[in-house]
Amino acid sequence: MTNSANSLSGIATQPLSLTINGKPSGPTQVPEELMMIDFLHEYLDLTGSRLGCGQGVCRACVVILDKADGSSEEVRTCITGAHFFDGKKIRTIEGHAKRNEQGEIVELSLVQQKFLEHFSFQCGYCTPGFVNAATILIEKLKRQPITHDQVEAVINEGLGDHICRCTGYVRYFEAVKDVVMNTPGLVKDAK
Amino acid sequence: MKPATPFRWTLLAAAAALLLTACGKQESTDATAAAQNGTPAATAADPLARGRYLVKAADCAACHTAAEGAPFAGGVKLESPFGIFYGSNITPDKEYGIGRWSADEFYRALHDGVAPDKHLYPAMPYTSYRQLSRIDSDAMYAFLMAQPPVNLASPAHDLKFPYNLRFGMMFWNIPFLKNTLPDASSGQSAAWLRGRYLANALGHCAECHTPRAFTGQLDDAKPLTGAALQRIGAPDITPQGLAARGWSAADLQAFLASGVAPQGSAFGEMFPVVHLSTQYLTKEDLSAISTYLLGDQAPAPQALASINADAAQQAAGRKIYLAVCAGCHSANGEGKPHVAVAMQANSTLRQADPRNLIVAILDGIAAQDFPGLESMQAMPGFSGQLSDEELAQLANYLRATQGGQAADVTAETVKKLR
Repeated sequence: MTNSANSLSGIATQPLSLTINGKPSGPTQVPEELMMIDFLHEYLDLTGSRLGCGQGVCRACVVILDKADGSSEEVRTCITGAHFFDGKKIRTIEGHAKRNEQGEIVELSLVQQKFLEHFSFQCGYCTPGFVNAATILIEKLKRQPITHDQVEAVINEGLGDHICRCTGYVRYFEAVKDVVMNTPGLVKDAK
Repeated sequence: MKPATPFRWTLLAAAAALLLTACGKQESTDATAAAQNGTPAATAADPLARGRYLVKAADCAACHTAAEGAPFAGGVKLESPFGIFYGSNITPDKEYGIGRWSADEFYRALHDGVAPDKHLYPAMPYTSYRQLSRIDSDAMYAFLMAQPPVNLASPAHDLKFPYNLRFGMMFWNIPFLKNTLPDASSGQSAAWLRGRYLANALGHCAECHTPRAFTGQLDDAKPLTGAALQRIGAPDITPQGLAARGWSAADLQAFLASGVAPQGSAFGEMFPVVHLSTQYLTKEDLSAISTYLLGDQAPAPQALASINADAAQQAAGRKIYLAVCAGCHSANGEGKPHVAVAMQANSTLRQADPRNLIVAILDGIAAQDFPGLESMQAMPGFSGQLSDEELAQLANYLRATQGGQAADVTAETVKKLR
């Protein structure tokens, strides 16, 4: 399959290769117009990213895009074409917990664990997005620690665009604050 | 509200009208014709209705009501090449507003750009308001004087030298303050005349849509041909300019009434114009404005021109479009209702100058609620995601496929607008 625009029952496709959760994926022939959320769900069976509003507002669908400079950002997969990610490295909600060789989850990430401990979510539909946003935030603070008085504003900035219809915001924020305050090196003047 | 006050102003307005008629001035003929056409009349139940309507039609709130501020208390920031202007407090507060002004002084401010204590800057569009009839000025005055006073000082303008010298306006006014504005269209119907009054005297369209010459005066040789006073340029709204971008009278009316038309939605400085002003105008008045803009013999809206463009460039642009735009604007550019406007034959894509297209992609557009249940959601800016080269490819793809414009945007053009 070397043609640049192969035809799949009349639909123009392009090869797509990327790195997902540390593992190479593709090249896969993917329709040119396919959105990333559909590629994750329908081609890779990675169904943890949630399709919510479908128009880039709720952020239940975000994945982490890891950039060459070591920084990361969240990208909304419901409004971003699959081919945007060609050659790029991403993490999805399936990539946070540690797994054994059989692929079974043996340990949650700290953010995931704290969300459970703080009863941060109810229905959980928005949770994959919040886990990704909080993870990006914590990793950023490891590179660029903040001062104590900035903590709440920075958390608000990091999670503020995400929508949760069960009104779980406060407990999400409390959980992330717990991680920020109790992880050494994130806050410069922490007691 | 004291019932005596509006009554007194109604009397005063009537007296002023008589006085003007007696003087036999040219402007009173136009004004009387205009006044009888479309503007809701003051009634016993609501003597201020006429003034309220005129204040909306003149879009006073655009500059005199801040986003989070009290109505007409001023404070709106207006950036210009001459420095920063702030809209003033025009509530009837005696200390900071116009509470001590007489109706004569109010008319003089609109007509001559002279307040009781100072010369106004033409950021206050008295060059347009000069054409307002005295009757309408008095009705607006009566309405404003009936609003709650707000005891709040307006921020001082922050202007560059020599524009900070107010007395200079005396000399500016001599050559540049004129009784009429040039027309871009031709007509003589009642609708066209009414539209001229609405668009020129009240709506002050020319203040943004007519280019400005060296010292900020409107360039009389190029009425309504478009200008870029702020980040988003005001497009060409001459009959030829509108027809070239596919506008019909019906579409213009829909746009002014609702902010949305098949050609796109109001954004930039035009959004508040629809939001605060034109949505409140009567159908007859919106029809009159469309008639004035397009002329009595409106040119036919033009179909998209077909464009030959470099295939590799176009393929690169399409790839970017599918990656970051198609999610909302759809793969073939038809848009999504209540989410994102159509790209197909979009008015901004059909402008020869790519400025607004590039600026919209770079900066994004905030979520906007339009009249009724219509809304468009926030468009993200892509200045951090797309390089100059990528943005040029995307702009060229859109221009060539959906706008009928040459694919001539370069990375350099984009860089200059960052």
